[in-house]
Amino acid sequence: MAKLVGIFAASHGPMIAREWDSLSPPTRTLVTEGFEQVGQRLMASRPDVLVIVSPDHWCNFFLNNFPAFCVGIGEEHDGPPEPFLKTRFNHPVLAGHAGLGRHIMDTALDRDFDPSLSHRLTLDHGFCLPLWRMGIEPIPPIVPIVINEVDDPMPTMRRCLAWGSMMKQAIESYPENLRVAVLATGGLSHFIGEPRMGQIDETFDRTCIELFTNGDPAKLAATLEHDVRHTGNGGHEVRNWVVAHAAAGNKGFELISYAPLEEIYVGCAFAEWRVPT
Amino acid sequence: MRDYWLNKLFFDIQQPAVAAEYKKDRDAVLARYPMHAEIRRAVIEDDIAALAPHVNAYLLRFYYAILGVKDAEFIKRLDELADSAPAKEKV
Repeated sequence: MAKLVGIFAASHGPMIAREWDSLSPPTRTLVTEGFEQVGQRLMASRPDVLVIVSPDHWCNFFLNNFPAFCVGIGEEHDGPPEPFLKTRFNHPVLAGHAGLGRHIMDTALDRDFDPSLSHRLTLDHGFCLPLWRMGIEPIPPIVPIVINEVDDPMPTMRRCLAWGSMMKQAIESYPENLRVAVLATGGLSHFIGEPRMGQIDETFDRTCIELFTNGDPAKLAATLEHDVRHTGNGGHEVRNWVVAHAAAGNKGFELISYAPLEEIYVGCAFAEWRVPT
Repeated sequence: MRDYWLNKLFFDIQQPAVAAEYKKDRDAVLARYPMHAEIRRAVIEDDIAALAPHVNAYLLRFYYAILGVKDAEFIKRLDELADSAPAKEKV
């Protein structure tokens, strides 16, 4: 049977790639160290497959068709379309893991979820920027999971917890002997294309960190469901972290680092959950 | 309330070919997007206060970035919106 060997989170942000050469040394150091820490821990878990949970930043989906959840079940996925990233992350095509993707899809349907599916997703900076900065080579086959976090209405935090629990069950019931890691990307607070852009809501970020550290899923869902409506639109990406939290059995995480980095417009955090043994 | 065709324009303009055409002949591109007259006026007059409530904030950001508006200027204009509006629309 497959085994969950590591569950991680890393912020992302286009400015990290777009402005990398001109970022201040302290910001570059904080970002570099955070991603390197996650990358090292992730590779130490020796994953055969990497499940990445991220939003889609208007690459695959538009208002005419916008799923709450989408599972990538293809053999391949396309690399980042953003010009500022594809020059730095030279992976026009990334390997998928169709078997595990399909199994997660089947498990979701069996547990009364109705996600969308894709045989070929375009993996934007939400997926690829962390891979670039973590420097993972070779990149394991990926099962991309997309959650709508960019346009209302979005899935509730409660639903994201349920999705994370389902994902855990799906991975642990996959019949192949695979080592599977999960990476949640995005968050914490940021404001994109709206007033306060460039500012960080440190109060929201520190609330998130406390909630994810302590575990309690009911409190986490209730608090975030409220708080996410009172911070920047980028804060909605914390849903990926909620999924990871439940996939780790709601045991809480170890914060690797946090810094409110206005230079890249992101409350930038990195973490590893305690994986049940 | 969202204006579907405004959002569609800002979505499509992520494609370099559409962006290039838009910069060369804006009216020809706009003609393909049957947005409400008031929204079309706001696009032509670059009235961000009129556009923002009708478009996803990420797409708004993409649009101005593609047009070459520097972040400092874009942020200044967003902050002016905040000063003039009692409450922002959440995306």
